[in-house]
Amino acid sequence: MTTALRDLIANPNAAELELVARYGMQPEDVRRERLFGAFAQSGLPNRRMEAWKWTDFKAALTTLDRPSTASVEDPIPYDGALVFKFTPTGFEAPADLPNGLSVFEKGEAQALGAAEDVPMGALAASLAGEKSRPATVLLEVTSSDLPRLHFQFSGAGEASFARIVIVVRPGMAVTVSESHLGGAGLEASVIEFGLQKNASAVRTIYQRGSREEAVASTALVHLDAEAQYTQTTLSFGAKLARLETRVTHQEPSASVTLNAAYLVGKGLHTDITTHVRHGANSCVTRQLTKGAVLDGGTGVFQGKFFVPRTAGQYTDADMQHKALLLEDGAVVFAKPELEIYADDVECAHGNTCGALDDNQLFYMRQRGIPEKTARALLTQAFVAEALEEAGELEELLRGEAEAWLGAA
Amino acid sequence: MDCCGGIDDHDDDCTDVKVKDSIDQETVEAAKALESENYSAGFVTDIEMDMAPKGLSEDTIRFISAKKEEPEWLLEWRLAAYKRWLTMEEPTWAMVDYPTIDYQDYYYYAAPKTGAKYESIDDVPKEILETYEKLGIPLREAEVLLGVEGAAESAAAARETPRVAVDAVFDSVSVATTFRKELEKAGVIFMSISEAVHEYPELVKKYLGTVVPQSDNFFATLNSAVFSDGTFVYVPKGVRCPMELSTYFRMNAENTGQFERTLIVCDEGAYVSYLEGCTAPMRDENQLHAAVVELVALEDAEIKYSTVQNWWPGDENGKGGIYNFVTKRGDCRGDRSKISWTQVETGSAVTWKYPSCILRGDDSVGEFYSIAVTNGRQQADTGTKMIHLGKRTRSRIISKGISAGKSNNTYRGLVSINRKADKARNFTQCDSLLIGDRCGAHTVPYVENRRADAQLEHEATTTKLSDDQMFYVRQRGIGEEEAVALLVNGFVREVLQELPMEFAVEAQSLLKVSLEGSVG
Repeated sequence: MTTALRDLIANPNAAELELVARYGMQPEDVRRERLFGAFAQSGLPNRRMEAWKWTDFKAALTTLDRPSTASVEDPIPYDGALVFKFTPTGFEAPADLPNGLSVFEKGEAQALGAAEDVPMGALAASLAGEKSRPATVLLEVTSSDLPRLHFQFSGAGEASFARIVIVVRPGMAVTVSESHLGGAGLEASVIEFGLQKNASAVRTIYQRGSREEAVASTALVHLDAEAQYTQTTLSFGAKLARLETRVTHQEPSASVTLNAAYLVGKGLHTDITTHVRHGANSCVTRQLTKGAVLDGGTGVFQGKFFVPRTAGQYTDADMQHKALLLEDGAVVFAKPELEIYADDVECAHGNTCGALDDNQLFYMRQRGIPEKTARALLTQAFVAEALEEAGELEELLRGEAEAWLGAA
Repeated sequence: MDCCGGIDDHDDDCTDVKVKDSIDQETVEAAKALESENYSAGFVTDIEMDMAPKGLSEDTIRFISAKKEEPEWLLEWRLAAYKRWLTMEEPTWAMVDYPTIDYQDYYYYAAPKTGAKYESIDDVPKEILETYEKLGIPLREAEVLLGVEGAAESAAAARETPRVAVDAVFDSVSVATTFRKELEKAGVIFMSISEAVHEYPELVKKYLGTVVPQSDNFFATLNSAVFSDGTFVYVPKGVRCPMELSTYFRMNAENTGQFERTLIVCDEGAYVSYLEGCTAPMRDENQLHAAVVELVALEDAEIKYSTVQNWWPGDENGKGGIYNFVTKRGDCRGDRSKISWTQVETGSAVTWKYPSCILRGDDSVGEFYSIAVTNGRQQADTGTKMIHLGKRTRSRIISKGISAGKSNNTYRGLVSINRKADKARNFTQCDSLLIGDRCGAHTVPYVENRRADAQLEHEATTTKLSDDQMFYVRQRGIGEEEAVALLVNGFVREVLQELPMEFAVEAQSLLKVSLEGSVG
């Protein structure tokens, strides 16, 4: 390692030094240098950074180690799906592609807009080309009849990085699912959606990890006029799991649904972070996040609606976060934020945090339902609301959530 | 074409702002009435002043301390704060933007040359008398206000006159404190903090800096080093303070900073209601106001602290105005204690202020009610922190932000539930309203919950105010919007009506404000 590389990050820890070393092994590339530079500015994000105050990667990730735990099994079916697999050592794409889908595996790094705002996304983009995997997997959707595209992130190793770009051509529709299954000490991915006029995408994210893994999934979504984007996340956390989505309404009348459910057990941490820029007139955003946390678990929700002057007029946006602390010792942090510079808009936000409603419990128990069952039923119903927009995978996600609640 | 439709910020000559239809016209006018051109307290009092040398150093601190003939321990306390301050960095996280402050360019002490306290009304400099007259205080009340011996008793005799004791702080010194004798009879100590340091050193020593420590934050640490005057209140066990207490802060001298420090201690079972008002002359330079307010409520005590903040906001182009960087914090130290903050914020160029409650005692209660109106180029970043530590602690936050002109108004609040705060409860409601399309309204609530049995609600929809109250009002045939206005404005009106007349001028106009058409 050259001195210049070593100096890229101020006061690096062992994990950061390892990341710098991995970067140093890559072929020189101006765009990669920019990407890694954007990450190196802060190093692993830490509590001193406002956007990371509750999710401190630098503290959690002192070294890059291979966890003793293996990846969990993927609950999302492969049947009829086009499966792309990312592991710490390789990449696998479907052999046959249907008409209407083109896949380009780019060897060189691609620029990433506002990379400084997403340090973990910038890290993923700068190291995705490691071990002769593609630096960017670019998909172009020119049909609405494609099978579901499934991206799986799993496999044992110290670290795994991936970058995916999906362009959906005007009027086309695509369904995407993602499984982050653990196995790597650090799994960082960045996925970008470019939805052109009147295009639509439905995205489902399933994340499950162990107390030895850190996960950072970053999504950047750009919507042209009348485009539609619907996202549903089900996260069970990891040592640290940060699932971040940044949406830009860049032309009028686009609409977005951002739903998430997090179920977090002992020693685990999930962070659902979203940022929506209403950069064009008459855009709609609906956001519902529900969480249930057990003793020793931590749930984080950070949402922000940004409405710029003039451009953001007639925005209609609603953000709701509701969390249940199922046991003492559970922790929930929330920050539902609004930044509004346009006067003719509707931006509502709500945040509640607490235990199950005693009245509801009483109601069920007086009808002869045992307390444990009543609790489970109420919690299931509470969480299920956030999974309703997941389309064909709704039932599967609900089943996964119920299984967890049943075991808890 | 509508001349206000452009994105750029340069259409300064355009005065008619297009306001969205759903916004109540009276609200627009009420906000307009608060524009800087209508600022009535902006005159300058021409009076000879005794100033500290410009700039900040250990010598300045020694100068202030010597002027006030302070005991050695307090000088040491100040110097320790100063050393600490030198190592600190000015916070930048608030949503405010102002040029770098040159802390060496201010005077840290300014007092009328004639001294601080007067025996007779004839000794009070004419200029100071006129200042209070111009601020809308009738002469007779001004006599009371200025603490002339005898006036207090006669005023006390006239039972029908409003009974408000006032501490008047003019730049760096308290010039008068009224009704002291009357209050002493009840055992209430009400005096400037400089006097309290001499008369009740043990009390001051016991509580000073226990709520806002010296090293709390950049501005509070600066205040600890250079604080000049402020009010000290001690209400003894079981005493309900017989009258409202208030402090009127007036910043007058040029290029000065005001750094007052207020300490209010309510002993077991005591009650006090305290009001604070502030004004300053119109000047082209920015002046610095970095105050610290500490409240201590012991068992079963209750403190109600109300502020009408009307510092000079600067002109419509953002020239001049006060930088209001204030640390206010109350400590509900005893069980069943209660601290209630009410603020009406209409002044200052930049506001950075978060009156907070530390709910340490079991069953203690914290409240924060705020109306912040920004005009012109004002920037306000204000809110509260409710730190729940004790069992069954409750807090309520109601914040209304109204932005007009090219201003920015941010609510920033934290609700934190500690592991040991069994069954804590919080209700937060914050609404923002934009008048015109060149201003900004922002909401940054933080919630940290570590208790399963805590119940926290944050709602931007006013209908969630209280279902029972809503039901009650609505079943009497009152429409939903009107019912909300009634319930929300109801408490505002209640609070404002309790303000003494000299503070109520700005506040009264806010009664017309409605949050109809709020954006969230």
